[in-house]
Order: sequence, then C-alpha cells, then structure tokens
Amino acid sequence: MEHGVPLIVGVGLTDHARKSHWPARLDLAQSASGLVLALFMWGHMAFVSSILLGKDAMWTVTKFFEGYFFFGRSHPWIVSIVVAMVIALVVTHALLALRKFPINYLQFSSFRGHMRMMRHEDTTLWYWQVLTGFALFFLASVHLYIMLTRPDRIGPFESADRVWSDHFWPLYIVLLLAVELHGGIGLYRLAVKWGWFGSADAKAMRRRLKLAKWALTAFFLVLGFATLAAYIRIGVEHSDRYGERYVPAQLQTSPVPAPAGGDLRSPR
Amino acid sequence: MTESAAMPSQSISPESAQRKVRISVLRYNPQERGSVPRMQTYELEEADGMTLFIALNEIREKQDASLQFDFVCRAGICGSCAMVINGRPGLACRTLTRSLGSEITLAPLPVFELIADLSVNTGKWMRAMSERLQAWVHMKQIEVDISRLEERMEPELAQKIYELDRCIECGCCVAGCGTARMREDFVGAVGLNKIARFRLDPRDARTDADFYELVGDDSGVFGCMSLLACHDVCPKALPLATQIAFVRRKMAGAGWK
Amino acid sequence: MNVIYTDVLVIGGGLAGLRIGIGAKRRGHDVTILSLVPPKRSHSAAAQGGMQASLGNVVKAMGDNEDVHFEDTVRGSDWGADQRVVRMFVDTAPKAVRELAAWGVPWSRVQKGDRQVIINAQKVTITERDEAHGLVMQRDFGGTKKSRACYVSDGTGHAMLYAMSDQAIAHAITVHERMEALALIHDGSRCYGAVARNLVTGELVAYVAKATAIASGGAGRLYRATTNAVICEGIGTALALETGVAAVANMEAIQFHPTAIFPASILVTEGCRGDGGLLRDAAGKRFMPDYEPEKKELASRDVVARRMEEHIRRGAGVKSRFGEHLWLDITLLGAKHINSNLREVKEICQYFLGIDPIKDWIPVRPAQHYTMGGVRTDHTGGSPTLKGLYAAGEAACWDLHGFNRLGGNSVAETVVGGMIVGEFIADFCDRPESDLQLSTGLIREFLEHEQAKLDALAAGNGSEDANALRARMQEIMTSKVGIFRTGDDLAAAVEELQSLLRRSRNIGLRYTARGANPELVSAYRLPKMLRLALCVAHGALIRTESRGAHFRQDYPRRNDAEWLHRTLATWKNADDTLPTLAREPLDVMQMELPPGWRGYGAKDYVDHPDTPRRAAEVEAIRTKLAGAARAAVQDALMPCATLLPQRFRGPNERIDEPFAPPAAPRQSTSPT
Ligand SMILES: Cc1cc2nc3c(=O)[nH]c(=O)nc-3n(C[C@H](O)[C@H](O)[C@H](O)COP(=O)(O)OP(=O)(O)OC[C@H]3O[C@@H](n4cnc5c(N)ncnc54)[C@H](O)[C@@H]3O)c2cc1C
Ligand code: HEM
Ligand code: HEM
Ligand code: SF4
Ligand code: F3S
Ligand code: FES
Repeated sequence: MEHGVPLIVGVGLTDHARKSHWPARLDLAQSASGLVLALFMWGHMAFVSSILLGKDAMWTVTKFFEGYFFFGRSHPWIVSIVVAMVIALVVTHALLALRKFPINYLQFSSFRGHMRMMRHEDTTLWYWQVLTGFALFFLASVHLYIMLTRPDRIGPFESADRVWSDHFWPLYIVLLLAVELHGGIGLYRLAVKWGWFGSADAKAMRRRLKLAKWALTAFFLVLGFATLAAYIRIGVEHSDRYGERYVPAQLQTSPVPAPAGGDLRSPR
Repeated sequence: MTESAAMPSQSISPESAQRKVRISVLRYNPQERGSVPRMQTYELEEADGMTLFIALNEIREKQDASLQFDFVCRAGICGSCAMVINGRPGLACRTLTRSLGSEITLAPLPVFELIADLSVNTGKWMRAMSERLQAWVHMKQIEVDISRLEERMEPELAQKIYELDRCIECGCCVAGCGTARMREDFVGAVGLNKIARFRLDPRDARTDADFYELVGDDSGVFGCMSLLACHDVCPKALPLATQIAFVRRKMAGAGWK
Repeated sequence: MNVIYTDVLVIGGGLAGLRIGIGAKRRGHDVTILSLVPPKRSHSAAAQGGMQASLGNVVKAMGDNEDVHFEDTVRGSDWGADQRVVRMFVDTAPKAVRELAAWGVPWSRVQKGDRQVIINAQKVTITERDEAHGLVMQRDFGGTKKSRACYVSDGTGHAMLYAMSDQAIAHAITVHERMEALALIHDGSRCYGAVARNLVTGELVAYVAKATAIASGGAGRLYRATTNAVICEGIGTALALETGVAAVANMEAIQFHPTAIFPASILVTEGCRGDGGLLRDAAGKRFMPDYEPEKKELASRDVVARRMEEHIRRGAGVKSRFGEHLWLDITLLGAKHINSNLREVKEICQYFLGIDPIKDWIPVRPAQHYTMGGVRTDHTGGSPTLKGLYAAGEAACWDLHGFNRLGGNSVAETVVGGMIVGEFIADFCDRPESDLQLSTGLIREFLEHEQAKLDALAAGNGSEDANALRARMQEIMTSKVGIFRTGDDLAAAVEELQSLLRRSRNIGLRYTARGANPELVSAYRLPKMLRLALCVAHGALIRTESRGAHFRQDYPRRNDAEWLHRTLATWKNADDTLPTLAREPLDVMQMELPPGWRGYGAKDYVDHPDTPRRAAEVEAIRTKLAGAARAAVQDALMPCATLLPQRFRGPNERIDEPFAPPAAPRQSTSPT
C-alpha cells in the first residue's frame, strides 16, 4: 500500500533490524536463577536443620558434603567450591533482578504511593520482594563470605559457636526472615508469571497458589527458627569451650581429645 | 403459564433509609493558570440506585459547574469513565454509591495525561499503544473476495477470540499496574492482551517472531513483573494473568533461539 | 487563524464515520476524522444484538436472501423507506459482514449438529447443517422472517467497532479526538468543511475539505428516557440543519425500544426476546400473545413498545416509586445460555439493578432508542441541496429505515452506508468539480461567527440555566412526543419548545472558563438540540397519520393517500423558532413492493391511489417472469443494479446458492 502501513503480514516488520534476543534470555535466566536458588534454599534448610535431629546427624551431613564418606577424609574446599558457585548464582540473580529495581527515588516513591493507594496484595508482595532482595544482597554476602573462607568451621559446635559466641544470630534472624519471604514470594511469582499451573478457574488456582506460598513460608520459618534456637542453645552451652570441634560419639574412641590437625579434622 | 418464584418479592432497590454521602474529588486543571492539585469535598443525599454517574452529574448541576469528568455510555461498556475510586481504578458509571462507604474518594487515573479533574486522555494513550503494537489483523492478502462465503472458523475459537476482544480500553489495568507507574514506556496488560488476541486469530498471519519484534523486551512482556493488579481491577474480568503468562512463554520461546 | 486542509472531513468516529474514512483513504484521499470521544468509545459499541445480513447460514435462515431481507425492511419501515436504497443495502450487507470477518471481527460461528433453543416458551431442538459449520452464526430478531442477525456473542457493536477502528489505525487515518464540529463552512451551495472546537483547550479550528461527511450518530438525548449514550445529542444533524440549505428528513420518526431497564433506561438487547425471553405483567402473565398472536414478543419494535405501553395503561403495569414498568423474563433460557450468550445483559442487571437475570425478572419499560430521521441524502449519501456534504449512519436519512428500522439493520446500515458513501465520496474527490475554490475570507467569517457566539456565552450576562432548559426539553419530549402522540400534546410541546428556544438566547454561565468547560458545552449545544426537537415535534404534529414508530392516537391509521411523503425540514433563518417543513413524496409507481399490510400490527390503512395500479403491474411482471432468476425478476420490477459503486455489485454466495467451484475471478478492483 502506498502509505507504507503494514496491513498485510510481513510488510514493515522484516524491514527494520531484528530485535535483540537478550531480553528473553535474561528474563529466563532471572527466573531460572531464582528457581535454582529457591530450591537450593530448601535443601540448605534441610541440611542446616539436621541439627534438630541431633549433633551427630548434623555432623554426618557436614562430613558428607566435605566428601568424607567418599574419600575417607574431609575436603572442606569442596564446600568452598559449592559456595563459590552459589555466590556466582546469587550475584547473577541479583544483577538480573537489579534491572527491575526502581532506578531512582522518583520511581521508588511513585511505586510506594501506588502501593498504598491500591492496597493490593500482589503489588505489596513485590515491594517486599524488592526490599528483602535488597537486604539479602548484604546479609547473604556476609554469610557466604564466611562459608567460602572457613568451610572447615561448619559443624554442630563450630556453627553453634558462630551463631552464639560470634554473634551471628541477629544476622541470621534477619537473613532467615528475608530469604523465606523472598523465596516464597519468588516461587509464587514464578508460578503465575509463567502460568505453570494453568486451570480453567484461574482465580481459584491463584488462591490456592497463594495459600501454598504462605504455607511454605510459614513452614520454613518455623523450621528455621527452631534450628536457630537449637544452635543458640548449643552455642550457649558450649560457649565456655568456644572453638572446640565436635567429635561424634562413634569416633570418640580415644579418651584424649585429639589435638588440632588430627585426621578427622581440617586437612591443615 | 410458568410462574417464577422470583417475581413477587422482587423490588427495584431496597427501601433503605436515605443517607448522606461525602464525595472527595482530587481536583486539578492544568489548563487553568493558578490551579493546584487539591481535594474538594461535596456532600449529597443518596438516592435509590444512585451510581457515581448520577452523583457526579448532580454535583455538577447543583453544586459545582466546573467539575470535569467523562461519561459516554453510562452503561459500563465504553470504558470512558474509569477513575480511581477509593484507591482502586474502576468504572464510575456502574459503581453504585451504596456499594461504597459514606466517604468516597475519587481521583483521576494515573499514568494517562490529565485533562482536568477526573478526566484523562486514555484515547491518546490507547491509539499510541495500538500503533506501536500494530494491533490489527495482518491479513494474508489485502483484497478479500467479499462476495464469496466467509472463511470458516471453529465456533470455540471464535468464542475464545471474543473473550480477549472484550477489552474496552478503559485503562484500569494500566493505572493499576505498578510497573506502568514506574516506567512510562510499558505497554501494559491491555497491550499484552491485544497481542494474545491477535496471536490467537488465524486471520492474522503474523508469527511469534513478528510478535517478538513488538513486545519482546522490557517495555513489553518482559517488563511485566506479574503484579496482577491488572487482572484484579479489569472491569471486564479479562483473563489477563493467564494471557500475559501465555505471551511470556511464547515470547521467551521465540527469543531464546 | 487555525486552518487544517484535508480531502475528506468526517464528523464522527463511529462505525459509519470510520468506514467512510477507510474507503476514502483506500482510494488515495487524505482523511481527517473528528470525534467527541476516542472512536472506540462511540455509541456503536453499545449495539449488543446483531447485524442483519442475508447469509442464510443457519437452518432457520434457509431460503433467506436479498429479496426476503428487502421485504422485511420495507415492511418494517411501514413503506416509508426509499426502496432503491433498501436494495443497495440488502445487496451489500452480506459483503459487509464478510469484509468485517476478514478484518477480524470474531463473529459467533455455526456449530453443526443439535442445539437447544427456546421458541415460543418451548424447548426445541434445531440441527445445524454440516455444510454450515464454522460459518457466521445468526439469530432471530424482531420483525424478520428469517434468522438473519449475525452477532458476536452479546458484544456485536463493540467487536465491530474495534475491528473497524483498528483498520482505521492500520490505514494511518488521522483522528482528532475531543474535537467537536460546531458549524459547517458553506456558501449556500457548496460545503467546504467545518469549524470545530477543541474540547480540551477550547480553541477553534477550521477544517477545510473537498467533501464533508456527517456521521455523528443519533439524537436520543433529546429525550429524558433514552437508551442512547450521553453524547448522542444530534449535534451533527443539527449542523446540517443550521446551514439553512441542507435538509433534515423524517425527524418525527423516533424509535422506542421495548426493553430498557427501568428506571435507568439502559438497553437490554432484543436478543433476549430473540433467544426466547418473554414479557410479563404485574400478574406475571405473558401478555404479548393476546395482542400479537402471530409474532408475539418478536413483532417489530414499534409494535411491541406500543403494546407494552398500552398494557400499562390498562393497569397491568408493575407499580414502583419511579413509575410503572413490566417484566422481561429470561430465566427460562437457563444459566448456561445467559452466562455465555447474554453475559452483558447479566452484567447490566447485576451492576445497575442488583439482580440476577438467571433467577430474577428484569424490570423494563420502553425508552427512546433510535433516530430514523437525519440529514437528507440521495442514494449516494450526498445532500441534494448542499454540494460536498455527505451523511451516513444514524445521523443520515439515506432512507433505509423509513418510519421504523428493524433491529440489527442499523449497525448494518452504518457499515454498508460507510462502504457505499465512502466510494461515492472518493468518486467525487476524484473529479475536478470537487476542487476547492474558496476565499479565506469565508473561513474567517465562519470562525469569527462561532467565536463571537462562544464569547457572548462566556461573558455570562444571561440569566437562564442551560441545564434546566435542557432538562425541561427532555421532559417535554418524553411526555408529549413519545410513543403515543396526540395533536393537543404535540401542539403544546411545539409551543413550549419554541419558548425554550427563545429563552436559550439568554443563557448565563456559572463557570466561564473557555477551555474544557462542560457548562459552556451544554449551553452552546442547547439551541441546536432545541431546533432538532422542534423538527421532531413539529413534524409529528403536522403528520396526521400513524406510520411505523410514529403513532397518533387521534389518527391511528396509516394514510398512504395523504402521507406517503418524507417530511423535509430546513432552518431558514437563525432567528426562526420553527423549521420550514416541506414534503418529499414517495413514488408508488417505482416501488418494487407496493404498500400493503406489514404482517403485524394494525391491519387498516388508507391506500394510495396508485397502489392498486402498481400492485397489478408488479403482479403482471411476476407472472410473466415466473421461473426466471431472482435477479432478473428484481431487475424488471425496480432496476437499480447500477446504483451501487462498481466494487460492491454482483451476487452474494450462499451455501444454497454456491458460485462456480473454480474461484470466480476477483472482480473487485484493487485499490493499490
Ligand atoms: C443501546 C443500543 C443498542 C443498539 N443495538 C443495536 C443492535 O443490536 N443492532 C443494530 O443494528 N443497531 C443497534 N443499535 C443502533 C446502532 O448502534 C447505532 O444506530 C449505530 O451504531 C450508530 O452508528 P454511527 O456510526 O452512525 O454513530 P455513532 O457510533 O453514535 O458515532 C457517532 C460519532 O460521532 C461523533 N460526533 C457526534 N457529534 C459530533 C460533533 N459535533 N463533532 C464531532 N464528532 C461528533 C461521536 O464522537 C461519535 O464518534 C443500538 C443502539 C443503542 C443505543
Ligand atoms: C542476593 C540478593 C538477591 C536479590 C537482590 C534478589 C532480588 C530479586 C528481585 C528484585 C526479584 C524480583 C524480580 C522480578 O519481579 O522480576 C527476585 C526474584 C526472585 N528471587 Fe531473588 N534476590 C536475591 C536473592 C535470592 C535468593 C537467595 C533466592 C532464593 C531463595 C531468590 C529467589 C528468587 C525467586 C524464586 C525469584 C522469582 C524470579 C522471577 O520472578 O523471575 N532470590 N529476586
Ligand atoms: C553453599 C552455600 C551455603 C552454605 C554452605 C551455607 C551453610 C550454612 C550453615 C553451615 C549454616 C549454619 C549456621 C552457620 O554455620 O553459620 C547456615 C545457616 C543459614 N544460612 Fe546458609 N549456607 C549457604 C548459603 C546460604 C544462602 C545463599 C542463604 C540465603 C541467602 C543462606 C541463609 C542462611 C540462613 C538464613 C541461615 C540460618 C538458618 C537457621 O539457623 O535457621 N545460606 N548456612
Ligand atoms: S484489559 Fe481490562 S482493564 Fe485493561 S483496558 Fe481492557 S478492559 Fe480495561
Ligand atoms: S499489573 Fe502490571 S506488572 Fe504485569 S501482571 Fe499486570 S501488567
Ligand atoms: S460511561 Fe461508558 S463505561 Fe462508564
């Protein structure tokens, strides 16, 4: 047509340069990184909360990750590698998510005004997701840095000492709250964002997803706080023997506590 | 003759005691020199079956001739009268005052250009959106022989397309969307719904790659942060959440390669 | 001086205006459309029920064709229509539906196999043909012999308007929204465009064009109780009237819709009755069969509306604090049908009445619905008296509807009229005679004149309240120029409307801003509306017969001998308080269908002297050509095949009237 309007297919569209494929990839990457992190956090919680089953249980899990049961001795650097990968993932995810952050105060305040006006749950939840994400950026960094640099200091006593005697518990309370809120909202959002659980009655499905989301968050918060309480209790009891490593019952054959550097402990 | 149980008891509206309602309007007329945004409150007696359309017209006729607002169909079908009613975007003409408290707050839709008081230029925004998204059927050929039988379509498909075609471009979904409030260039749920509508239409010969050109970025479908307010405020109850998710999947697929 | 030049100026962005614009643009002319509101908000969007076109797809439409549609329309019009225009219309309507189908309207489609319907309060099973599967679905509408109304669920007008508007955007047609035409620029013989006012800034703009088309819709707001949108004030029609040169015709022909919800007057579609809904009175009794044993609830609108009012007058109405009403009962259609096919109706009941039509009956009463009259045009859509001026859609009296239009014929008219008039406008613009030779002085004069009127209003020295005068006008029209009319009432109405018109010269404003100012708007529209109201009331007073929707209690019979005329109204002087009325006779001897009984309603009427003669002629031709092709018979009766623009000529394919299998060579000439 003479006025150059694409009335029929293809005319016009093919003429200009094709659009970048990156937005699609980045969006997928953001979701994928969030999903992996969220699933990781479930595993992480299972692992950390093993303390609730007893110190030996936690010890076993720790040793498992250090490769003790494969190699017959501990290799905490394995943990360091995993931590490094998680850091990379968190950084990637955070950078991707950063694109969604309000870029200036004007945007931030107009969103906040909007949220207050609307009083709409999903809108408010996003705000909390951004806030918790922002907090995670700092809180998780501290935690991950410790895990990266001192993988050897993970264990029933070691962790408990950090939580209590090294005063990590306030950090963990906030971190726990932040990550559970963030992850729960994130998973819910993933489901609605990609329409995973499509159903004829979209409204009812959303209600159910929302319910599942809160149930998950509540479950992990209860579990998390119970775990934290357990570490604190052990930490308090163990505070006078700060720094001592845990030796599980089945290995306490030798009456004398082995000196540091013993084969069951750090390779260094 | 079949006697319906519904008939005898039915009355047009409950004989409720008349009450006073206070309507506060966010007023501002950018055309007028010296005008500043302010709240103004009007008090009036509620009548039976009073909608905000009736109430606002009464205010304009009896109390304040300068009050600006837009109504066209006054029947909830044209999308002219969307405004923020007690914090949520909605159609004023089909909102009964009795469904609200006695204190009612009205504000113009955000995001859109303000004309004055409650009147905003949704038409301009929608036209720009349509142009940008090329929101029309892109036919396979320009001339159809209209003296011959129309092309066939499955009845369910026609119904499905109509479900998405019911949008009245009222702008509620855009005004209710936090993303749209932060980012001017976001196409909004109304735009994404159009893409879903035309994608579904077999008469539109565009492919996903073509649609990707239109919404495959952060001002398009990837900009949507799934806040879902659009879905919750849409006065036509369009399945926006489902449709945006659908478009996102298709566009992610088209863009991944 | 703010002047914009364009080839074609279209006043109105509804279905009719948009289709004209697309037609002219496709032919290479520059088009500018003015609209009070964004085009998609035009009142065309309100049409729920359907669009008539004789596709003959469904079983209940078998045997339908242009001829049957023609007869229904002419009978419906009570022989007031221009039969040549009806022919042009029925021939093009199927093409219009098919064009819209290609442009994306999601017409409801035929599902082959069994389907449950309610006919005459009985459940009936209809089996649709396999060959029809997937073609456009059709439903029954009042006053028609066949199921002919194509529809899109219950949002027909909406879907049509959106597809049309999207096409206009696709064609990059300029639309100036919130721009109100205030006056036509003309020199007494040629129209040059219009002066318009920007409703946001108050600025005046002169649009200068080779051809100006009025497609501004109906004038329902002359009445208090109307189904029309608040912008349907007839301003476009009044602009033509105010030229003093162009005429408006048949303004007394006002249609009242039987089922407007009470008291808000929001329409619930005729489809409710078409699908099997019933009318009941205060006692719950279905009363239509007593009045109209044959078509019952599905007699034409004027008949049903009148019967309803009659029944109320007999004391069978339901009393309420707002007055009396009747019930519309669709509960028998069932939840599934209502939820899918009549959802819009359900929403209206929920939001505006707080009831559920699946269980509850709907309070209804007739209300003003449609303006059959409008700017008088010939079959090309052009004004016979003001060159360069065109009109289409509800604003026009192209004269498709005569004194009563059939449900579903009106959105069909907007599109068909838009297609046809658009072509004729393009033809006109192609010819050298359309070249503009006007002095800028004329433009300035018109601009200044309008500005002066606005300034005088804004100066605010008057003492009359525009809103009060307007409310009074609407009250007079509803109570005195309504469904039942009498000489006394009409005379009183004319009298008081005149006094209102005089008082309207002395309006004072409380709010005098020149930009967006609703009070100013209603003040300058008022005299225009009053003039139209006077055309309605005066025309109704003069017409001492009953025809179609125009019903005189004191003259209940149709009188072809005296009144087979169109009423033409012109407004010679701005100071006049009455229109100048003239009669435009209809020629019985040219009619394909000579006047007779409509098949419903009153049976007694006074024949035109020519009627028997013409009837005999028609009979003779039919006998002579018995067995000949439909088209040949038609052509012998009333030759009009060449009236249509070339691209819309030719037969329409149907399942039962298939074209030769190898695709017929496309006879339409490509516009590129
Ligand atoms: C509730 C309802 C239901 C209906 N249902 C049906 C149905 O089922 N089937 C059917 O066939 N018909 C139906 N009709 C009738 C039909 O919808 C209308 O007759 C038809 O749509 C009119 O279309 P139009 O294009 O002429 O005008 P409209 O669609 O009314 O458009 C008028 C345009 O003119 C513009 N305008 C007006 N004045 C000016 C001015 N001064 N300056 C600039 N622009 C101006 C307006 O902004 C608007 O864009 C229904 C009508 C109503 C009220
Ligand atoms: C470390 C810093 C982190 C920051 C700054 C951050 C930030 C964000 C933000 C802003 C979003 C919203 C993105 C959107 O709406 O499109 C988001 C989404 C998400 N986050 Fe995080 N996050 C962080 C860590 C985590 C962690 C540790 C988890 C694991 C529990 C996680 C899981 C998710 C999930 C599942 C989503 C949803 C993904 C999506 O919507 O595509 N995030 N994150
Ligand atoms: C591979 C990486 C990680 C390892 C090895 C790891 C390990 C641990 C360990 C051993 C503890 C017990 C307390 C301690 O020893 O200090 C712990 C607690 C915790 N970690 Fe991690 N962590 C990892 C990643 C993360 C991430 C990414 C987050 C969240 C962003 C996180 C959040 C928490 C929280 C909230 C606690 C306290 C839990 C409680 O007590 O209930 N961890 N982690
Ligand atoms: S999608 Fe819904 S809310 Fe948005 S413009 Fe359309 S009708 Fe309005
Ligand atoms: S509210 Fe906005 S962010 Fe997306 S889901 Fe709706 S468009
Ligand atoms: S005025 Fe049309 S939707 Fe409210």
